Amino acid sequence: MKNIVIGQFVPGTGFFYKLDPRTKIVSIVFLMIALFLLENITQLLIAFGLAVVMLIIGRLSIKRIVRGLKPIFVLLIFTFLFQIMFNQEGTLLVNQQMSLSYTSIAGILVITVLWRYLAHFKRFNFFLFLVWVAGVYFLLIYFHFGPTFAPFSLKVYQKGVEMSIFVVIRLLIIITLSTVLTITTKPTDLTQGLEKLLRPMKVIGMNSEDFALIISISLRYIPTILDEANKIMLAQASRGADFSEGKLKDKVKQVISLLVPMFIIAFKRSEDLADAMESRNFIPGKPRTRIYELKFNWNDLMTSIFTAACFALAIVLRVI
Amino acid sequence: MGIHFREVSHEYASYQVGDYQAINKITLSIEDENEFICLVGHTGSGKSTLAQHMNALIFPTEGEVEINGKVITKKRDKKVNYNLLRKHVGLVFQFPEYQLFEETVEKDIMFGPMNFKVSLEDAKIRAAEAIRLVGLNESYLRRNPFNLSGGEKKRVSIAGILAMDPDILVLDEPTSGLDPFGKRQLMELFQNIQKETKKSIIIITHDMDLVYEFANRVIVLNDGDLVYDGNEEDLFRKDELTTWALGLPETIKVLRRLKEQFHLDINPYQKTVDLAFEELKKVMNK
Repeated sequence: MKNIVIGQFVPGTGFFYKLDPRTKIVSIVFLMIALFLLENITQLLIAFGLAVVMLIIGRLSIKRIVRGLKPIFVLLIFTFLFQIMFNQEGTLLVNQQMSLSYTSIAGILVITVLWRYLAHFKRFNFFLFLVWVAGVYFLLIYFHFGPTFAPFSLKVYQKGVEMSIFVVIRLLIIITLSTVLTITTKPTDLTQGLEKLLRPMKVIGMNSEDFALIISISLRYIPTILDEANKIMLAQASRGADFSEGKLKDKVKQVISLLVPMFIIAFKRSEDLADAMESRNFIPGKPRTRIYELKFNWNDLMTSIFTAACFALAIVLRVI
Repeated sequence: MGIHFREVSHEYASYQVGDYQAINKITLSIEDENEFICLVGHTGSGKSTLAQHMNALIFPTEGEVEINGKVITKKRDKKVNYNLLRKHVGLVFQFPEYQLFEETVEKDIMFGPMNFKVSLEDAKIRAAEAIRLVGLNESYLRRNPFNLSGGEKKRVSIAGILAMDPDILVLDEPTSGLDPFGKRQLMELFQNIQKETKKSIIIITHDMDLVYEFANRVIVLNDGDLVYDGNEEDLFRKDELTTWALGLPETIKVLRRLKEQFHLDINPYQKTVDLAFEELKKVMNK
């Protein structure tokens, strides 16, 4: 749980740390829109190059961003496979007849078990996965002894390959952008930025301050509540609650033994927080001052110009 | 049997502050019977981490812990049933709020034994026995644990562990948040439990008065290192106490001061106020 990078601030100094959160939020929104305006793969690759340059300018560790991509890796693979299988435009690249048979199913099972077993050693994880995919591919084509059934053909079209690479790169850039935002911005700064940006919404009756407060309190309490949950789990485990084994009936009871203290502690904490805020004279809806006011400086101006240029270029490319 | 630590270290991985060594190469042995140990050390010295190793709630990152003959190392061993070790060593957490969840005290106390496949009737008998051991009467069994006072909740949570009938009982700061009278009462309770059942009891505490009066063995942790393991008499004669951020019991403080101020010929190492008073009276009569 400690390796999740998305949504986690990492202290540091660098170009993006010095930016005003408002600039960061607005720029990222516009850059994302620009990204969706791009139409062909060369433009997207240039955008990808720009994103990497951005990371280098901000002196952010690329390794850390890549590590943050791990949880959505599965999503990326699925997007890739979906695009490659269901997009049927352009010229046909591969047309492979495949079918199932008892031997091929058995073979797939064997290599799956082998793959999962080898994956325990943790190294070459991705490489193993590729080997597994290739193995399944060959088994489905050649490994038939005895009757075959359910024949189908794997068709890959040129457009499908292009689109799948296109979509995956686009996703990668989007995630990199949002990770840069969350890694370099404190949650409090982020909500303060949002609060300032959403201020005009007051016209339609939405109070941006309340909204920002709700977000910042929930963000603030995620690690605390996780910590509490962990302690409760240890306390109940120490009374013999086994969360991994046992019958369904026992399991239900053990989950309840977690949830009840969890809720009680959460309610208690929220009451304490309300008291603490009130005793420091917090009145909902009344204007508040800040210790750190947000300032707009040269870096912000430069970033804004860069964003505007990218956005304009994307529109121009789209129109032409 | 008992618990044996061999060169045990534990390192917490933290994303923001980097890895952090909570305990460092600790070697110690705790027997099954007749021990009354106080585990002391300043805040963040690794006491709770050490305690959580004692019933395999967390695993050492280096070295090994042997609990009841089962060896626990960094790697999870599928042949070892870690859950059963928790029946052997009962750990009571600091805050009862982390474990109370049932609608009656009786059901809550029965949760532990029932997890270890004790029958319903036996669990009821054990609950009644445990509530008596912690000094509450049986009418409490039918009450709602959330309507109890802080001290009562604490007792109920201890009863919840006692009902599992562990050979070794580990208590993480059981006296925190109680008034001086409640503290003393609770410590006397542990002493009685220990005498009555011969279980070993390990208590984490900050209160040096209680340590001096009740413990027959003291373990001191300082920044994750084991710096003292021995009896309570020698501990308070040591000069390193202040470097370990520990204080002296009130009786020793007062008697030492009197000895210096009035050049009295007294022994300042008296465990209780009564004994200190007797010692002073002896000198006065001379």
